[in-house]
Amino acid sequence: MRIAYWTLPPTLLFLALMLFISSCKKEDSKPVFQLSFEHELAGEELVMFTQWYHCAAGHKFQVHRLKYYLSNFNFQNADGTEFQSGHVQYIDLEDPSTLSMVLQDVPQGEYTGMSFIIGLDELTNVDGGLPNTLTNINMEWPLPGDQGYHYMKLEGRYDSLGMGPVKNFNLHTGATGGNQNYVQVQLPFANSINVTGGTWNINLVMDLNEWLQNPHVYDFEAFGPMIMANQDAQQMLKENGADVFSVRAIEKE
Amino acid sequence: MKKFLIGFYTTLLLTAMLACGDDAEKPEDTWVYAPTPYQLQVPAWFPILEIPEDNPMTEEGVLLGRMLYYDPITHADSAKSCSTCHIQSYSFSSGPTVIPHLNLGWSKNFLWNGKLQNGLEDAMLFEVSEFFKTDLGRLQKHPDYPRYFYEAFGEHTITYKLAAKALAQFQRTMISADSKYDRVLFGDQGTFFTDAELNGWEIFFTEKGDCFHCHGGILFTDNDFHNNALDAAPDDGLMAVTGNPLDRGRFKTPTLRNIALTGPYMHDGRYETLQEVIDFYSEGLKRSDTVDPLMKSVHLGGKHLTEQEKNDLLAFLLTLTDSTYITNKNLASPF
Repeated sequence: MRIAYWTLPPTLLFLALMLFISSCKKEDSKPVFQLSFEHELAGEELVMFTQWYHCAAGHKFQVHRLKYYLSNFNFQNADGTEFQSGHVQYIDLEDPSTLSMVLQDVPQGEYTGMSFIIGLDELTNVDGGLPNTLTNINMEWPLPGDQGYHYMKLEGRYDSLGMGPVKNFNLHTGATGGNQNYVQVQLPFANSINVTGGTWNINLVMDLNEWLQNPHVYDFEAFGPMIMANQDAQQMLKENGADVFSVRAIEKE
Repeated sequence: MKKFLIGFYTTLLLTAMLACGDDAEKPEDTWVYAPTPYQLQVPAWFPILEIPEDNPMTEEGVLLGRMLYYDPITHADSAKSCSTCHIQSYSFSSGPTVIPHLNLGWSKNFLWNGKLQNGLEDAMLFEVSEFFKTDLGRLQKHPDYPRYFYEAFGEHTITYKLAAKALAQFQRTMISADSKYDRVLFGDQGTFFTDAELNGWEIFFTEKGDCFHCHGGILFTDNDFHNNALDAAPDDGLMAVTGNPLDRGRFKTPTLRNIALTGPYMHDGRYETLQEVIDFYSEGLKRSDTVDPLMKSVHLGGKHLTEQEKNDLLAFLLTLTDSTYITNKNLASPF
């Protein structure tokens, strides 16, 4: 193959220019937060279907399904301002694509912590409040008189240890009887992060046991498998849910 | 040499003329590929319908799909067409295990055991290439189909893929959204539930009957797989596809729309009537290793509804019958 050597210098110049422009662009681009979610029980990564765990109420239990919404993401800046996002994240442990999310155009600043809610707020948690997708439809909360969506479906089975057969549990949380019941989560960062650019990976962990303890011991047997319209159960889960999440790591790419 | 050249050029000329003449006589030359976009009417209260970019709906494509659906030419031996088993008056179903065809445009997986999970086009591809083993040569020689395929897709060669695309387009028009339930909730004012239907609706959409966690949403199916506690030793179900023992007994949730028309019930058609199905969920649940946690009453053998509650639930299920769907002329045979 013949090469027209005279074309090389301009080509190289062009490439160098492109590289220069793209690198400039990278520096100028707004920071990105990439959140990833992990799920643990007993200090180890959750194993669904087969692994038995122990809960504070004294039962053995397995987890077979976990689907939930996170929304109202809010990042606190040291200067008192906040970065708020309207993003609603649907998480389904059987769909790995739902286990991370990206927030673009994060304002530069020194961030000291973040907050979000497990579930949906009053404005979103109405019939048709989320886009009419199959996923959202499957999360509907159709109880007559109520509105909106399941915040969480945490399902499995438990063995009441000699007190009868293995039973199923359904921790289905949502708004019922006029109570909103979403969980407010506040996560201060161990060290503030100085965000000027680039992608920041924020790794969050849910400890599923915390739904069942702190401050209240949640007993599957006491509430039974049907809790959607049981405000006592909903209230307990709401209060237990405040500390199910923690920040495992924050790293700049 | 001169003679030879004259002969050569004459032959060349004649060949060219023959070829031209042949060209002019080809019927393909008069065919036109200018498909008209199909205006699909999706009810506002239905989910967003995702249509693959490589198979936009056209009038020509939908009509071709409808013809293939009703024409035994799609079957290798012309023994039957899709419509032989999928009969409109039974909500495009018939007899045990024939899955009704309605609202499949929203379906993510197909067949009771989820054997096909790559979209409607892929499901239709299986139907023509493997289930019916369509004889493409016969379609290609047919006096009309090559033109229909050209008008729909701009292709002269008929393939399984194109037949599947056409069938998928027709399937997306098979929308059932005009039941009494739809009219009460979303239609013009003036249609109301009876007291029994209203009570049944409450049983259905609360944890009292707890039907909605699987058969909920506007499609009355969650598009997922569950072991509904049908047997102590369940049939394979999804396990036949995945090989995963945890999937034993998990079958696709059928839609309950038009359920009164689509018996018998369950993946093996074991229940003749809806009363039997309700009795099963009320008193007949069987424990097995893979029973779905949503079957909250399995340890009690079922929901234990009263006779009144069972009757009311049945009354509600009958409001899911869409009589206009089974008489819709646009879905009937085009022949």
